[in-house]
Amino acid sequence: MSGIQEDDDLVFRKVCSLLDALNDKGVKLTRETDLIADLEIDSVSVLDIVMDIEDNYDISIPVNTISEIKTIGELVDAIHTIKKEQS
Amino acid sequence: MSLFEKFQSTAAQYYALREETGRDPFGVSMDEMKGPTRAMVDGKEIVLAGTNNYLGLTFQDDAVAAAKTAVERSGTGTTGSRFANGTYAAHRQLERDLADFLGYKHCIVFSTGYQANLGAISALARPPEDVILIDADCHACIYDGCQLSGAETVRFRHNDPESLDKRLKRLGAEVKGKLVCIEGMYSMFGDVAPVGEFVEIAHRHGAYVLLDEAHSFGVFGDGGRGVCERDGVLQSVDFYTGTFSKSLASIGGFVASNHPELEYLRFSSRPYMFTASPSPANIAAAGAALEKISSDPSLRERLWDNAKRIHAAFTQLGFELCAPASPVIAAKLANREQAFMAWNFLMENGVYVNLAIPPGTPNATSILRLSVSAAHSDEDLDVVVSAYTALSEALSQEQR
Repeated sequence: MSGIQEDDDLVFRKVCSLLDALNDKGVKLTRETDLIADLEIDSVSVLDIVMDIEDNYDISIPVNTISEIKTIGELVDAIHTIKKEQS
Repeated sequence: MSLFEKFQSTAAQYYALREETGRDPFGVSMDEMKGPTRAMVDGKEIVLAGTNNYLGLTFQDDAVAAAKTAVERSGTGTTGSRFANGTYAAHRQLERDLADFLGYKHCIVFSTGYQANLGAISALARPPEDVILIDADCHACIYDGCQLSGAETVRFRHNDPESLDKRLKRLGAEVKGKLVCIEGMYSMFGDVAPVGEFVEIAHRHGAYVLLDEAHSFGVFGDGGRGVCERDGVLQSVDFYTGTFSKSLASIGGFVASNHPELEYLRFSSRPYMFTASPSPANIAAAGAALEKISSDPSLRERLWDNAKRIHAAFTQLGFELCAPASPVIAAKLANREQAFMAWNFLMENGVYVNLAIPPGTPNATSILRLSVSAAHSDEDLDVVVSAYTALSEALSQEQR
Protein backbone atom coordinates (compact mmCIF):
# COMPACT_ATOMS: atom_id res chain seq x y z
CA MET A 1 0.00 0.00 0.00
CA SER A 2 2.70 2.34 -1.11
CA GLY A 3 0.79 5.51 -1.94
CA ILE A 4 -1.62 5.52 0.97
CA GLN A 5 -1.72 8.46 3.32
CA GLU A 6 -1.58 7.70 7.02
CA ASP A 7 -5.07 7.51 8.49
CA ASP A 8 -6.39 5.62 11.49
CA ASP A 9 -9.73 5.03 9.78
CA LEU A 10 -9.86 1.31 8.97
CA VAL A 11 -12.50 1.78 6.26
CA PHE A 12 -10.29 4.36 4.58
CA ARG A 13 -7.36 1.96 4.69
CA LYS A 14 -9.48 -0.88 3.31
CA VAL A 15 -10.79 1.24 0.42
CA CYS A 16 -7.25 2.36 -0.38
CA SER A 17 -5.96 -1.19 -0.40
CA LEU A 18 -8.67 -2.13 -2.92
CA LEU A 19 -7.95 0.92 -5.08
CA ASP A 20 -4.22 0.30 -5.00
CA ALA A 21 -4.60 -2.48 -7.57
CA LEU A 22 -5.92 0.08 -10.07
CA ASN A 23 -3.56 2.88 -9.11
CA ASP A 24 -1.27 2.43 -12.11
CA LYS A 25 0.16 5.93 -11.91
CA GLY A 26 1.05 5.63 -8.23
CA VAL A 27 -1.14 8.58 -7.24
CA LYS A 28 -1.01 9.39 -3.51
CA LEU A 29 -4.33 8.27 -2.08
CA THR A 30 -6.00 10.76 0.24
CA ARG A 31 -9.59 11.48 1.22
CA GLU A 32 -9.59 14.17 -1.49
CA THR A 33 -8.45 11.87 -4.33
CA ASP A 34 -11.03 11.95 -7.15
CA LEU A 35 -11.69 8.37 -8.24
CA ILE A 36 -12.28 9.07 -11.92
CA ALA A 37 -10.27 12.26 -12.54
CA ASP A 38 -7.16 11.42 -10.46
CA LEU A 39 -7.01 7.65 -10.72
CA GLU A 40 -8.30 7.60 -14.30
CA ILE A 41 -10.49 4.56 -13.68
CA ASP A 42 -13.82 4.30 -15.49
CA SER A 43 -17.23 4.38 -13.85
CA VAL A 44 -17.73 0.63 -14.33
CA SER A 45 -14.49 -0.15 -12.47
CA VAL A 46 -15.69 2.03 -9.60
CA LEU A 47 -18.87 -0.06 -9.44
CA ASP A 48 -16.81 -3.25 -9.38
CA ILE A 49 -14.64 -2.02 -6.50
CA VAL A 50 -17.79 -1.15 -4.61
CA MET A 51 -18.92 -4.76 -4.98
CA ASP A 52 -15.73 -5.90 -3.21
CA ILE A 53 -16.41 -3.37 -0.47
CA GLU A 54 -20.00 -4.63 -0.13
CA ASP A 55 -18.85 -8.21 0.34
CA ASN A 56 -16.13 -7.17 2.75
CA TYR A 57 -18.53 -5.30 5.07
CA ASP A 58 -21.70 -7.29 4.28
CA ILE A 59 -23.57 -4.15 3.24
CA SER A 60 -25.29 -3.05 0.03
CA ILE A 61 -24.35 0.30 -1.48
CA PRO A 62 -26.97 1.38 -4.02
CA VAL A 63 -25.86 2.46 -7.51
CA ASN A 64 -27.75 5.71 -6.86
CA THR A 65 -25.38 6.50 -3.96
CA ILE A 66 -22.25 5.53 -5.90
CA SER A 67 -23.11 7.81 -8.80
CA GLU A 68 -22.97 10.80 -6.45
CA ILE A 69 -19.57 9.85 -5.04
CA LYS A 70 -16.51 11.57 -6.46
CA THR A 71 -13.72 11.22 -3.91
CA ILE A 72 -12.30 8.50 -1.69
CA GLY A 73 -13.46 10.47 1.34
CA GLU A 74 -17.05 10.53 0.11
CA LEU A 75 -16.92 6.78 -0.52
CA VAL A 76 -15.56 6.14 2.97
CA ASP A 77 -18.25 8.34 4.53
CA ALA A 78 -20.97 6.54 2.57
CA ILE A 79 -19.68 3.17 3.82
CA HIS A 80 -19.74 4.39 7.44
CA THR A 81 -23.32 5.67 7.02
CA ILE A 82 -24.59 2.50 5.38
CA LYS A 83 -22.79 0.28 7.91
CA LYS A 84 -24.72 2.05 10.68
CA GLU A 85 -28.05 1.82 8.82
CA GLN A 86 -27.74 -1.82 7.86
CA SER A 87 -26.23 -3.19 11.05
CA MET B 1 -15.62 26.11 -19.77
CA SER B 2 -17.30 24.36 -22.66
CA LEU B 3 -20.11 21.83 -22.99
CA PHE B 4 -17.75 19.67 -24.99
CA GLU B 5 -14.78 19.58 -22.64
CA LYS B 6 -15.87 16.34 -20.98
CA PHE B 7 -15.67 14.45 -24.29
CA GLN B 8 -12.12 15.40 -25.07
CA SER B 9 -10.06 12.62 -23.52
CA THR B 10 -12.29 9.89 -24.99
CA ALA B 11 -12.37 11.66 -28.34
CA ALA B 12 -8.58 11.94 -28.47
CA GLN B 13 -8.18 8.22 -27.74
CA TYR B 14 -10.80 7.30 -30.31
CA TYR B 15 -9.42 9.48 -33.11
CA ALA B 16 -5.86 8.32 -32.48
CA LEU B 17 -6.85 4.68 -32.98
CA ARG B 18 -8.90 5.56 -36.04
CA GLU B 19 -6.02 7.48 -37.55
CA GLU B 20 -3.72 4.48 -37.37
CA THR B 21 -5.85 2.33 -39.63
CA GLY B 22 -8.00 4.81 -41.51
CA ARG B 23 -11.05 2.82 -40.48
CA ASP B 24 -13.69 3.56 -37.85
CA PRO B 25 -14.92 0.42 -36.06
CA PHE B 26 -17.86 2.36 -34.63
CA GLY B 27 -18.89 3.98 -37.88
CA VAL B 28 -18.84 1.21 -40.50
CA SER B 29 -21.29 1.78 -43.32
CA MET B 30 -22.82 -1.26 -44.96
CA ASP B 31 -22.98 0.30 -48.40
CA GLU B 32 -25.06 -2.46 -49.94
CA MET B 33 -26.61 -5.52 -48.29
CA LYS B 34 -26.07 -8.71 -50.28
CA GLY B 35 -28.17 -10.91 -48.00
CA PRO B 36 -28.31 -11.74 -44.29
CA THR B 37 -24.59 -12.56 -44.06
CA ARG B 38 -22.87 -10.39 -46.69
CA ALA B 39 -22.48 -6.67 -47.36
CA MET B 40 -20.41 -4.35 -49.50
CA VAL B 41 -18.12 -2.14 -47.41
CA ASP B 42 -15.74 0.29 -49.14
CA GLY B 43 -16.18 -1.55 -52.44
CA LYS B 44 -15.39 -4.97 -50.96
CA GLU B 45 -17.71 -7.85 -50.11
CA ILE B 46 -17.53 -8.67 -46.40
CA VAL B 47 -18.88 -11.62 -44.39
CA LEU B 48 -21.03 -10.25 -41.57
CA ALA B 49 -20.11 -12.04 -38.36
CA GLY B 50 -20.90 -9.26 -35.93
CA THR B 51 -24.68 -8.87 -36.09
CA ASN B 52 -27.57 -10.18 -33.99
CA ASN B 53 -29.19 -11.93 -36.93
CA TYR B 54 -29.03 -15.27 -35.12
CA LEU B 55 -31.64 -17.05 -37.22
CA GLY B 56 -30.78 -15.12 -40.38
CA LEU B 57 -34.39 -14.20 -41.16
CA THR B 58 -33.86 -10.62 -42.37
CA PHE B 59 -34.29 -11.69 -46.01
CA GLN B 60 -36.67 -14.58 -45.42
CA ASP B 61 -39.31 -14.68 -48.19
CA ASP B 62 -42.43 -14.71 -46.01
CA ALA B 63 -41.13 -11.91 -43.75
CA VAL B 64 -40.22 -9.73 -46.74
CA ALA B 65 -43.61 -10.38 -48.38
CA ALA B 66 -45.49 -9.64 -45.15
CA ALA B 67 -43.60 -6.37 -44.68
CA LYS B 68 -44.33 -5.30 -48.28
CA THR B 69 -48.03 -6.06 -47.93
CA ALA B 70 -48.19 -4.19 -44.61
CA VAL B 71 -46.68 -1.06 -46.17
CA GLU B 72 -49.14 -1.21 -49.05
CA ARG B 73 -52.15 -1.73 -46.79
CA SER B 74 -51.27 0.28 -43.69
CA GLY B 75 -48.68 2.82 -44.80
CA THR B 76 -45.05 3.52 -44.04
CA GLY B 77 -45.45 4.74 -40.46
CA THR B 78 -48.06 5.08 -37.72
CA THR B 79 -47.14 8.69 -36.82
CA GLY B 80 -48.29 8.20 -33.25
CA SER B 81 -47.77 6.35 -29.99
CA ARG B 82 -49.41 3.14 -28.82
CA PHE B 83 -51.29 5.31 -26.33
CA ALA B 84 -52.86 7.49 -29.03
CA ASN B 85 -53.32 6.69 -32.74
CA GLY B 86 -50.43 4.21 -33.09
CA THR B 87 -52.12 0.95 -32.10
CA TYR B 88 -53.29 -0.92 -35.20
CA ALA B 89 -54.97 -4.33 -35.29
CA ALA B 90 -51.58 -5.80 -36.24
CA HIS B 91 -49.92 -4.52 -33.04
CA ARG B 92 -52.62 -6.20 -30.96
CA GLN B 93 -52.41 -9.38 -33.01
CA LEU B 94 -48.63 -9.60 -32.54
CA GLU B 95 -49.08 -9.15 -28.78
CA ARG B 96 -51.47 -12.11 -28.76
CA ASP B 97 -49.16 -14.20 -30.96
CA LEU B 98 -46.14 -13.55 -28.74
CA ALA B 99 -48.14 -14.33 -25.59
CA ASP B 100 -49.44 -17.56 -27.17
CA PHE B 101 -45.96 -18.58 -28.32
CA LEU B 102 -44.59 -18.15 -24.79
CA GLY B 103 -47.68 -19.55 -23.10
CA TYR B 104 -48.21 -16.25 -21.23
CA LYS B 105 -51.47 -14.41 -20.69
CA HIS B 106 -50.37 -10.85 -21.44
CA CYS B 107 -47.96 -9.05 -23.72
CA ILE B 108 -47.19 -5.43 -24.59
CA VAL B 109 -45.30 -4.40 -27.73
CA PHE B 110 -42.87 -1.48 -27.48
CA SER B 111 -41.02 0.39 -30.23
CA THR B 112 -37.60 -1.13 -29.47
CA GLY B 113 -36.13 -3.74 -27.14
CA TYR B 114 -34.32 -0.94 -25.35
CA GLN B 115 -37.63 0.76 -24.65
CA ALA B 116 -39.26 -2.48 -23.50
CA ASN B 117 -36.77 -2.76 -20.63
CA LEU B 118 -36.67 0.97 -20.04
CA GLY B 119 -40.47 1.11 -20.00
CA ALA B 120 -41.06 -1.94 -17.84
CA ILE B 121 -38.43 -1.23 -15.16
CA SER B 122 -39.11 2.50 -14.88
CA ALA B 123 -42.84 1.92 -14.47
CA LEU B 124 -42.66 -1.09 -12.13
CA ALA B 125 -40.23 0.20 -9.51
CA ARG B 126 -40.83 3.47 -7.74
CA PRO B 127 -38.83 5.27 -5.05
CA PRO B 128 -38.64 5.27 -2.13
CA GLU B 129 -40.40 2.01 -1.32
CA ASP B 130 -39.16 -0.30 -4.11
CA VAL B 131 -35.69 -1.73 -4.74
CA ILE B 132 -34.24 -3.06 -8.00
CA LEU B 133 -31.50 -5.70 -7.95
CA ILE B 134 -29.54 -6.10 -11.18
CA ASP B 135 -26.86 -8.43 -12.44
CA ALA B 136 -23.65 -6.40 -12.74
CA ASP B 137 -23.32 -7.21 -16.45
CA CYS B 138 -26.86 -6.20 -17.41
CA HIS B 139 -27.30 -4.23 -20.63
CA ALA B 140 -27.32 -0.42 -20.64
CA CYS B 141 -31.10 -0.35 -21.14
CA ILE B 142 -31.60 -2.10 -17.79
CA TYR B 143 -29.28 0.38 -16.06
CA ASP B 144 -31.11 3.22 -17.79
CA GLY B 145 -34.47 1.78 -16.75
CA CYS B 146 -33.28 1.81 -13.13
CA GLN B 147 -32.12 5.38 -13.46
CA LEU B 148 -35.37 6.51 -15.05
CA SER B 149 -37.36 4.80 -12.29
CA GLY B 150 -35.29 6.55 -9.62
CA ALA B 151 -35.69 3.54 -7.31
CA GLU B 152 -32.79 2.32 -5.20
CA THR B 153 -30.70 -0.02 -7.35
CA VAL B 154 -28.30 -2.66 -6.05
CA ARG B 155 -25.92 -4.65 -8.26
CA PHE B 156 -25.05 -8.27 -7.58
CA ARG B 157 -22.13 -10.25 -8.99
CA HIS B 158 -22.60 -11.45 -12.54
CA ASN B 159 -24.30 -14.84 -12.84
CA ASP B 160 -23.86 -15.41 -9.09
CA PRO B 161 -27.13 -16.50 -7.40
CA GLU B 162 -25.49 -16.48 -3.96
CA SER B 163 -24.52 -12.84 -4.41
CA LEU B 164 -28.18 -12.02 -5.16
CA ASP B 165 -29.30 -14.06 -2.15
CA LYS B 166 -27.01 -12.05 0.15
CA ARG B 167 -28.29 -8.74 -1.16
CA LEU B 168 -31.94 -9.77 -0.86
CA LYS B 169 -31.30 -10.83 2.76
CA ARG B 170 -29.82 -7.41 3.57
CA LEU B 171 -32.94 -5.51 2.48
CA GLY B 172 -34.88 -3.94 5.32
CA ALA B 173 -38.51 -4.64 6.19
CA GLU B 174 -39.50 -1.20 4.88
CA VAL B 175 -38.88 -2.33 1.28
CA LYS B 176 -42.18 -3.01 -0.46
CA GLY B 177 -41.50 -4.16 -4.01
CA LYS B 178 -38.35 -6.04 -5.07
CA LEU B 179 -37.52 -6.43 -8.74
CA VAL B 180 -34.63 -8.68 -9.84
CA CYS B 181 -33.31 -8.06 -13.37
CA ILE B 182 -31.25 -10.63 -15.25
CA GLU B 183 -30.63 -11.65 -18.85
CA GLY B 184 -30.77 -15.05 -20.54
CA MET B 185 -27.65 -14.89 -22.67
CA TYR B 186 -25.38 -11.87 -22.23
CA SER B 187 -24.62 -10.04 -25.46
CA MET B 188 -20.91 -9.33 -25.11
CA PHE B 189 -19.45 -12.65 -23.88
CA GLY B 190 -22.29 -14.98 -24.91
CA ASP B 191 -22.40 -16.47 -21.42
CA VAL B 192 -25.67 -17.82 -20.08
CA ALA B 193 -27.39 -17.15 -16.74
CA PRO B 194 -28.48 -19.88 -14.31
CA VAL B 195 -32.02 -18.56 -14.71
CA GLY B 196 -33.66 -21.40 -12.77
CA GLU B 197 -31.55 -20.72 -9.65
CA PHE B 198 -32.13 -16.97 -9.85
CA VAL B 199 -35.90 -17.42 -10.12
CA GLU B 200 -35.95 -19.76 -7.12
CA ILE B 201 -33.94 -17.38 -4.92
CA ALA B 202 -35.88 -14.28 -5.99
CA HIS B 203 -39.25 -15.87 -5.30
CA ARG B 204 -38.06 -17.23 -1.94
CA HIS B 205 -37.47 -13.60 -0.93
CA GLY B 206 -40.76 -12.38 -2.36
CA ALA B 207 -39.07 -10.61 -5.28
CA TYR B 208 -40.32 -10.41 -8.87
CA VAL B 209 -38.07 -11.50 -11.74
CA LEU B 210 -37.63 -9.53 -14.95
CA LEU B 211 -35.75 -11.67 -17.46
CA ASP B 212 -34.41 -10.15 -20.66
CA GLU B 213 -34.18 -12.84 -23.33
CA ALA B 214 -33.20 -10.39 -26.11
CA HIS B 215 -30.27 -12.52 -27.26
CA SER B 216 -31.66 -15.92 -26.32
CA PHE B 217 -35.22 -15.76 -27.72
CA GLY B 218 -35.41 -18.12 -30.70
CA VAL B 219 -32.01 -19.52 -29.77
CA PHE B 220 -32.31 -21.44 -26.46
CA GLY B 221 -34.90 -23.97 -25.26
CA ASP B 222 -36.51 -26.82 -27.18
CA GLY B 223 -39.09 -24.46 -28.64
CA GLY B 224 -36.83 -21.40 -28.92
CA ARG B 225 -38.46 -19.71 -25.92
CA GLY B 226 -35.19 -18.79 -24.30
CA VAL B 227 -32.96 -19.82 -21.42
CA CYS B 228 -35.93 -19.94 -19.04
CA GLU B 229 -37.48 -22.64 -21.22
CA ARG B 230 -34.18 -24.54 -21.15
CA ASP B 231 -34.15 -24.27 -17.34
CA GLY B 232 -37.80 -25.36 -17.04
CA VAL B 233 -38.95 -22.08 -15.45
CA LEU B 234 -40.67 -20.42 -18.43
CA GLN B 235 -43.91 -20.04 -16.50
CA SER B 236 -42.26 -18.76 -13.32
CA VAL B 237 -40.72 -15.62 -14.80
CA ASP B 238 -42.73 -12.55 -13.79
CA PHE B 239 -41.73 -10.28 -16.66
CA TYR B 240 -40.26 -11.73 -19.83
CA THR B 241 -38.73 -9.04 -22.05
CA GLY B 242 -37.50 -9.41 -25.60
CA THR B 243 -36.67 -7.64 -28.80
CA PHE B 244 -37.63 -7.93 -32.48
CA SER B 245 -34.19 -6.80 -33.60
CA LYS B 246 -32.34 -10.08 -33.18
CA SER B 247 -33.93 -13.46 -33.99
CA LEU B 248 -37.17 -11.75 -35.03
CA ALA B 249 -35.25 -9.84 -37.72
CA SER B 250 -37.13 -6.54 -37.38
CA ILE B 251 -37.18 -3.72 -34.82
CA GLY B 252 -39.38 -3.43 -31.75
CA GLY B 253 -39.63 -5.02 -28.33
CA PHE B 254 -42.05 -6.64 -25.92
CA VAL B 255 -42.80 -7.50 -22.31
CA ALA B 256 -44.85 -10.61 -21.54
CA SER B 257 -46.28 -11.63 -18.18
CA ASN B 258 -48.90 -13.75 -16.49
CA HIS B 259 -49.67 -10.88 -14.10
CA PRO B 260 -52.83 -9.13 -15.36
CA GLU B 261 -51.38 -5.93 -13.86
CA LEU B 262 -48.97 -5.79 -16.79
CA GLU B 263 -51.72 -3.82 -18.53
CA TYR B 264 -51.09 -0.92 -16.10
CA LEU B 265 -47.93 -0.19 -18.07
CA ARG B 266 -50.06 1.05 -20.96
CA PHE B 267 -50.94 4.17 -18.98
CA SER B 268 -47.89 4.51 -16.75
CA SER B 269 -44.82 3.64 -18.82
CA ARG B 270 -43.37 6.76 -20.38
CA PRO B 271 -41.23 4.92 -23.00
CA TYR B 272 -44.47 3.23 -24.15
CA MET B 273 -46.65 6.33 -24.11
CA PHE B 274 -44.39 9.01 -25.50
CA THR B 275 -42.86 7.52 -28.62
CA ALA B 276 -44.25 6.41 -31.97
CA SER B 277 -45.30 2.77 -32.27
CA PRO B 278 -43.44 0.32 -34.52
CA SER B 279 -44.25 0.75 -38.23
CA PRO B 280 -46.65 -1.70 -39.92
CA ALA B 281 -43.73 -3.23 -41.85
CA ASN B 282 -41.76 -3.86 -38.64
CA ILE B 283 -44.75 -5.52 -36.99
CA ALA B 284 -45.52 -7.66 -40.04
CA ALA B 285 -41.90 -8.82 -40.42
CA ALA B 286 -41.64 -9.72 -36.72
CA GLY B 287 -44.92 -11.65 -36.93
CA ALA B 288 -43.74 -13.61 -39.97
CA ALA B 289 -40.39 -14.37 -38.28
CA LEU B 290 -42.21 -15.56 -35.15
CA GLU B 291 -44.27 -17.90 -37.30
CA LYS B 292 -41.07 -19.25 -38.87
CA ILE B 293 -39.42 -19.73 -35.46
CA SER B 294 -42.41 -21.68 -34.14
CA SER B 295 -42.67 -23.92 -37.20
CA ASP B 296 -39.05 -24.55 -38.20
CA PRO B 297 -36.72 -25.95 -35.52
CA SER B 298 -34.07 -26.64 -38.17
CA LEU B 299 -33.05 -22.96 -37.98
CA ARG B 300 -31.94 -23.42 -34.38
CA GLU B 301 -30.14 -26.66 -35.24
CA ARG B 302 -28.22 -24.94 -38.02
CA LEU B 303 -27.37 -22.01 -35.73
CA TRP B 304 -25.98 -24.29 -33.04
CA ASP B 305 -24.02 -26.39 -35.54
CA ASN B 306 -22.42 -23.19 -36.82
CA ALA B 307 -21.73 -21.94 -33.28
CA LYS B 308 -20.03 -25.20 -32.30
CA ARG B 309 -17.94 -25.26 -35.46
CA ILE B 310 -16.60 -21.73 -34.91
CA HIS B 311 -16.07 -22.22 -31.18
CA ALA B 312 -14.07 -25.40 -31.80
CA ALA B 313 -12.01 -23.77 -34.57
CA PHE B 314 -11.15 -20.72 -32.45
CA THR B 315 -10.29 -22.88 -29.45
CA GLN B 316 -7.91 -24.86 -31.63
CA LEU B 317 -6.32 -21.66 -32.90
CA GLY B 318 -5.56 -20.77 -29.29
CA PHE B 319 -7.87 -17.79 -28.84
CA GLU B 320 -8.96 -17.08 -25.30
CA LEU B 321 -12.75 -17.31 -25.53
CA CYS B 322 -15.12 -15.72 -23.02
CA ALA B 323 -17.70 -18.52 -22.70
CA PRO B 324 -18.58 -22.04 -23.79
CA ALA B 325 -20.05 -22.45 -27.30
CA SER B 326 -23.05 -20.19 -27.94
CA PRO B 327 -24.08 -18.00 -30.88
CA VAL B 328 -21.89 -15.22 -29.47
CA ILE B 329 -18.22 -16.13 -29.53
CA ALA B 330 -16.02 -13.45 -28.00
CA ALA B 331 -12.23 -13.62 -28.13
CA LYS B 332 -10.16 -11.71 -25.58
CA LEU B 333 -7.31 -9.54 -26.76
CA ALA B 334 -4.49 -8.11 -24.67
CA ASN B 335 -5.69 -4.49 -24.68
CA ARG B 336 -7.63 -1.83 -26.58
CA GLU B 337 -4.86 -1.20 -29.11
CA GLN B 338 -4.36 -4.86 -29.95
CA ALA B 339 -8.12 -5.41 -30.22
CA PHE B 340 -8.42 -2.44 -32.54
CA MET B 341 -5.62 -3.68 -34.79
CA ALA B 342 -7.08 -7.20 -34.79
CA TRP B 343 -10.50 -5.85 -35.75
CA ASN B 344 -8.96 -3.96 -38.64
CA PHE B 345 -6.99 -7.05 -39.70
CA LEU B 346 -10.21 -9.06 -39.91
CA MET B 347 -11.87 -6.34 -42.00
CA GLU B 348 -8.94 -6.48 -44.41
CA ASN B 349 -9.47 -10.22 -44.58
CA GLY B 350 -13.15 -9.83 -45.43
CA VAL B 351 -14.82 -10.36 -42.03
CA TYR B 352 -16.84 -7.89 -39.97
CA VAL B 353 -17.07 -8.57 -36.23
CA ASN B 354 -17.84 -6.22 -33.32
CA LEU B 355 -15.01 -4.50 -31.53
CA ALA B 356 -15.90 -4.03 -27.88
CA ILE B 357 -13.69 -2.16 -25.46
CA PRO B 358 -14.03 -0.82 -21.90
CA PRO B 359 -16.16 0.59 -20.36
CA GLY B 360 -18.66 -1.15 -22.66
CA THR B 361 -17.38 -4.59 -21.68
CA PRO B 362 -17.32 -6.55 -18.41
CA ASN B 363 -14.10 -6.69 -16.36
CA ALA B 364 -12.44 -4.01 -18.52
CA THR B 365 -11.67 -6.55 -21.25
CA SER B 366 -11.09 -5.75 -24.92
CA ILE B 367 -12.80 -8.27 -27.15
CA LEU B 368 -13.72 -9.18 -30.68
CA ARG B 369 -17.35 -10.22 -30.51
CA LEU B 370 -18.37 -12.62 -33.24
CA SER B 371 -21.92 -13.81 -33.70
CA VAL B 372 -22.95 -16.72 -35.86
CA SER B 373 -26.16 -16.97 -37.82
CA ALA B 374 -28.23 -19.88 -39.05
CA ALA B 375 -27.88 -18.18 -42.44
CA HIS B 376 -24.08 -18.48 -42.47
CA SER B 377 -23.17 -20.92 -45.23
CA ASP B 378 -20.21 -23.26 -44.90
CA GLU B 379 -18.43 -20.96 -47.32
CA ASP B 380 -19.12 -17.91 -45.08
CA LEU B 381 -17.66 -19.75 -42.13
CA ASP B 382 -14.63 -20.85 -44.17
CA VAL B 383 -13.87 -17.16 -44.79
CA VAL B 384 -14.25 -16.47 -41.05
CA VAL B 385 -12.00 -19.33 -39.98
CA SER B 386 -9.28 -18.47 -42.49
CA ALA B 387 -9.32 -14.81 -41.41
CA TYR B 388 -8.97 -15.81 -37.75
CA THR B 389 -6.22 -18.30 -38.67
CA ALA B 390 -4.27 -15.48 -40.33
CA LEU B 391 -4.98 -13.26 -37.31
CA SER B 392 -3.67 -15.82 -34.86
CA GLU B 393 -0.46 -16.12 -36.91
CA ALA B 394 -0.10 -12.34 -37.01
CA LEU B 395 -0.61 -12.10 -33.24
CA SER B 396 1.93 -14.80 -32.47
CA GLN B 397 4.49 -13.10 -34.74
CA GLU B 398 3.86 -9.86 -32.88
CA GLN B 399 4.71 -11.64 -29.61
CA ARG B 400 8.03 -12.91 -30.92
